[in-house]
Amino acid sequence: MTEELQNIITQVDQIVQQKGKTKGALIPILQAIQDEFNYLPEEALRHVCETTEITPENITGVASFYSQFRMQPAGQHMIKVCVGTACHVKGAMQVYDAFKRHFNLKGQEETDAEGKYTLEKVSCLGCCTLAPVVQVDDVTYGHVTTDQVTSVIHDFESQVGKVGKKGKFRNADGSEFQGEIRIGLGSCCVASGSEDVKKEIEQTIEGTGINLQLKNVGCVGMCHQVPLVEIIDEQKQSKLYAKVKPNEISDIINTHFKPKGLFDQLKAKAYNFLEKVQTDEVWEGVDRYAIDVRDEMVSSFLDRQLPIATEHRGVINPLDMDEYRQFGGFEALKKALQTDRHEVIQTVKDSGLRGRGGAGFLTGLKWELVEKENGDKKFLICNGDEGDPGAFMDRMLLESYPYRVIEGMLIAAYAVKATDGYFYIRAEYPLAVTRIRQALINCREQNLLGENILNSYFSFDIQIYEGAGAFVCGEETALMASIEGNRGFPTIRPPFPAQKGLWGQPTLINNTETFAQVSYIIRKGKENFSGIGTDRSKGTKVFSLAGKVNRGGLIEVPMGITIRQIVEEIGGGVQNGKQFKAVQVGGPSGGCIPASLYDTPIDYQSLIEVGAMMGSGGLVVLDEDDCMVDIARYFLSFTQEESCGKCTFCRVGTKRMLDILNRITTGKGTKKDLEELKYLADWTKKGSLCNLGKSAPNPIITTLRYFSEEYEAHIEGRCPSGKCTEMITYSINDECIGCTKCAQKCPVEAIKFEPHKKHSVNMELCIKCDACRQVCPVDAVVVE
Amino acid sequence: MIKLKINNQSIEVPEGTTLLEAAKQLQIDIPTMCHLEGTEHFTSCLVCLVKDERNGRLMASCSMPAMDGMEIITDDDECRESRKASLELLLSEHVGDCEAPCQLVCPAHMNIPLMNRLIAAGNHAKAIEVVKRDIALPAILGRICPAPCEAGCRRKQVDDPVSICLLKGFTADQELEKGVAPVQPKEKSGKEVAIVGAGPAGLAAAFYLNKAGHQVVLFEKNTKAGGEILQIDETVLPAKVREAEIGAILDSDIQINYGSTIDQLEFEKLQQRYDAVVLAVGASTDQWKGYGLNLSKTGIEIDKATYQTSIEGVSAIGNALRPSKLAVRSVGQGKELAFILDQLFKTARLSAYPSRFNSKFGKLQEPEFAEYLKESNDSERLEASRGKAVGFTMEEAVAEAKRCLHCDCRNPESCKLRELSDVYGAEQRRFQYDDRFVIQKEFAPQNIVYESSKCIKCGICVRLTKQYQEAFGFSFIGRGFDVKVGVPFSESVGKALEKTAALVAEKCPTGALAKTDAEEQFNE
Repeated sequence: MTEELQNIITQVDQIVQQKGKTKGALIPILQAIQDEFNYLPEEALRHVCETTEITPENITGVASFYSQFRMQPAGQHMIKVCVGTACHVKGAMQVYDAFKRHFNLKGQEETDAEGKYTLEKVSCLGCCTLAPVVQVDDVTYGHVTTDQVTSVIHDFESQVGKVGKKGKFRNADGSEFQGEIRIGLGSCCVASGSEDVKKEIEQTIEGTGINLQLKNVGCVGMCHQVPLVEIIDEQKQSKLYAKVKPNEISDIINTHFKPKGLFDQLKAKAYNFLEKVQTDEVWEGVDRYAIDVRDEMVSSFLDRQLPIATEHRGVINPLDMDEYRQFGGFEALKKALQTDRHEVIQTVKDSGLRGRGGAGFLTGLKWELVEKENGDKKFLICNGDEGDPGAFMDRMLLESYPYRVIEGMLIAAYAVKATDGYFYIRAEYPLAVTRIRQALINCREQNLLGENILNSYFSFDIQIYEGAGAFVCGEETALMASIEGNRGFPTIRPPFPAQKGLWGQPTLINNTETFAQVSYIIRKGKENFSGIGTDRSKGTKVFSLAGKVNRGGLIEVPMGITIRQIVEEIGGGVQNGKQFKAVQVGGPSGGCIPASLYDTPIDYQSLIEVGAMMGSGGLVVLDEDDCMVDIARYFLSFTQEESCGKCTFCRVGTKRMLDILNRITTGKGTKKDLEELKYLADWTKKGSLCNLGKSAPNPIITTLRYFSEEYEAHIEGRCPSGKCTEMITYSINDECIGCTKCAQKCPVEAIKFEPHKKHSVNMELCIKCDACRQVCPVDAVVVE
Repeated sequence: MIKLKINNQSIEVPEGTTLLEAAKQLQIDIPTMCHLEGTEHFTSCLVCLVKDERNGRLMASCSMPAMDGMEIITDDDECRESRKASLELLLSEHVGDCEAPCQLVCPAHMNIPLMNRLIAAGNHAKAIEVVKRDIALPAILGRICPAPCEAGCRRKQVDDPVSICLLKGFTADQELEKGVAPVQPKEKSGKEVAIVGAGPAGLAAAFYLNKAGHQVVLFEKNTKAGGEILQIDETVLPAKVREAEIGAILDSDIQINYGSTIDQLEFEKLQQRYDAVVLAVGASTDQWKGYGLNLSKTGIEIDKATYQTSIEGVSAIGNALRPSKLAVRSVGQGKELAFILDQLFKTARLSAYPSRFNSKFGKLQEPEFAEYLKESNDSERLEASRGKAVGFTMEEAVAEAKRCLHCDCRNPESCKLRELSDVYGAEQRRFQYDDRFVIQKEFAPQNIVYESSKCIKCGICVRLTKQYQEAFGFSFIGRGFDVKVGVPFSESVGKALEKTAALVAEKCPTGALAKTDAEEQFNE
């Protein structure tokens, strides 16, 4: 036996010992093997089959189903280009192509020649407000442009080796409290560099004698302004700084706080003076970004909102249990435990809460159905498999409000007599997994989980199950199949999970957001919840607002708010003064709502009436530059890849619809193609087995309904918004000032370097990467 | 018990009964492909969709449990359209030929690959039987046919086509040498058919009508049978061969009147006297205009589907329709008309010659040559060393037959995809927008062949190999449109099917997993 094989066997044995020998352990085993070897060596898989009850059929089926798993070794570092909806509309594919060119990758190649980097597309990293986003290992880069590839790689390489060296954390003692600095540590904030800002704060206050409480808070929702730093000074005045850069920290701190001793003050002043002289930076640099909570811009972002699932946003430290309790945390649980379970269910039912995962089934009714069933065990699952590209609500809730979600689950578990709980969290959300893991440990320590919770007769515990990358696993039957160690194939309902769910036992599955709203209802009373919203859609809904909007982020709004109010008032309108064209609601299952329906109120019913659906709540704003046929094609390419591959209508139907859209967006479409597209959309909707398939044609159906003239234009050979690369040409008009910027940026030398002369594009060489248009200072690059 | 209605019939079934099972109790047939009794339902193909009339919802009957109050419709326009749509989607990625291109090209639609396999296996008696299902004059055609089949032969892409024509002649010669036994129909129908003209078309019609038990009387103006064939030079078609083959046909219970000219009066008499009159009069058709027949630009006008002329009870075939040098076409028409008349006599209804659904994919791609050669060899094309008029020797024939690539599907009769595509009128090319899959053939012990490009991903093989606890079995690999059914760890198909080869091949609803020796068309 070779040494390598021996090593594999030893490692696998260890993993199996840790994870177990049952089929249910399959996905965790595969995840552990990949962690170890960076791919799944066949020898390892064979050895798993030899030593567990897992069969070769099982392991092959599962390993090849989930996108997380690789059968081939990858490079040392993974580069993930997010191609989620928000990133797509901001040119993610061009960024992907730029990376491909950088590493000289041909065709299907993913790994560069030296085996150093592997490039892949991911469906959504959930950092939509920073679009386009690229992740290199754990470092996330936002707003990446095609010409920044080299600098991203350069920056990453300068970071390699530094990872893990944490700055010293400085805790102030209470008596000397001078103020508080809150820094957002949601994924968007971290991605935008909040860790560096945090380090800088620590370094700055060290030695100044300023006694500050540095506090990590969860997502504030204002993801368009990250990283955010909030200062609470001695007078308890709050000031919010947005888009803070590390080099601005010392000025911010010095504005609000005085160093302790005179010497320290002088030292600090001198230091600051010297720094300003050296860097020639002036104070306005920071001031420009400073925003006050009372400022109109901020207040309009926040005023329209109504935080229930995101209550106390930006105030509480996600993992600080004492703080959660101070704000009423776990009071709802206590109250519930002292109430008859049927009464709890009735309260939730009366509140009108409907499932926030998309379909909108009445939550209380679901609980009632599960409560009635008897089984040896009864499972409860929190569905955090948020796979919609362009949606990041679940991630934010899990990262920032772990206790609230857990409390909701506990109340539900008590009400339906559940015995075992699961958090199903998608693999792309490592921070959420870490936070929840810690939160569960803390809860166990506080007797909020385990035997006889809070000295009641109620016992319950929760474990985490990490998804392995499959959009379809958001569908409840597929999700359960996945926990059982199977391919995520949905099955026909009935039987419903309430009757025969996980491992054949009655099971309650609710979405993360649904659970996050439960404690509020119990604590504040059902009327306080049902008083919000519309007739048939009660309470609030969390949305992730992204795309071509000025202020994107996580928002929570009362049901019934109009799309216009969200985009114009909360989002501050469309970016760069462009024309609002449509909003894509609900991701691949949803639809595009056009400007003519700008005043559509958002609730379950009205969204279905206009052909969209709530989905899990992604809102991507599209402007005049977006091609609606391209948007439909984008979503179909997503659903086609994410289809589980089981039923004919979804497996082949989505592919054929994509084929037609590819024909249309490359100028090969015919009138007949449009008819066939409608026919397939109609039958895929009617005939598919599960809701993923049934809703997959929605992006086509709504764009055909509201933007038929764009389809017609493509059939005639024009892409009106100039997005479909095969139908457009680049040229440079007389506005050109001969600055040569375009020639410098062009990666294929399609523009000749001619200073002070009018430039031109050689279309035979042009790859339509759009770099020239983006860089031109006088808008002389014309796309037709 | 659950009470529901299916197609307006009430039925009570125990809880947990599927709609498919409930329908079966009422003798209502619902098509299925991915469903296999005795295995867990999977619900993938969706050709079994039925409708609940109360809400118009479509559901998969193979797995949907019957529920109180349901009002199920199994076969209205919408259900039928759903089946057609799912079949057309499945066909859009189904890369395989139901029948080999050579057979499809042959005007007589002869089963060439089966003939080749029989010759290669030395079963010459069966080979000629197969040939004569479609071609009444194989020894003659084996020498004079321009062989359009060879133009369609896939082997032509690899090197040179198989010498199909010579092989056909060879099988006929084998039989002629031994002496052809006269055709003895099982029973006589009592129907009588007059055939005017004893050329290739008339002789073929006579042969098949006689075989079906109908009395045939031929009226030939010459003193010899054969029509235009008589003009062919001895060096191409020796008179000995011609006379032996035609003689063998006429040796059966077929009457022939030589030297008979049919004038208008005679023609009317024939119409009165016989149950059907067939005009196989050759290329000169002017005289028939006067007899009340409509003519087209090229000859006697007919309804193309049924060969019926403008006079009821009179049909026409062969060069009378259009002058041509293609005797095989005339022979094929004789066969088709005989079938049509036989059906007419049996059912009193005139119907077209049945055309079946055929999955086709066109030319091979270069990497596929090797796949197809797995069932063949790399020998060069043989011509008859003794000349075409004499034909192949036994060794030559067997060697040449082994060059066949066997493009035909091994499950042309049992394939549910083909059967249902026929029933629901599915078109294969409708949704074929993208490049097709590349064909791969894997052969395994017990004469198993696996062609993944024909797979409809129903998972029956996955379920069966799991149920019988195969060490490897089959597994789904990948997801989305690109999902494949394959063997774990790139093991061989043989490894996957150590216990279940025959069973799995039998249960595969298409020809993706098949027995190469299935020979479903061995018997007629």
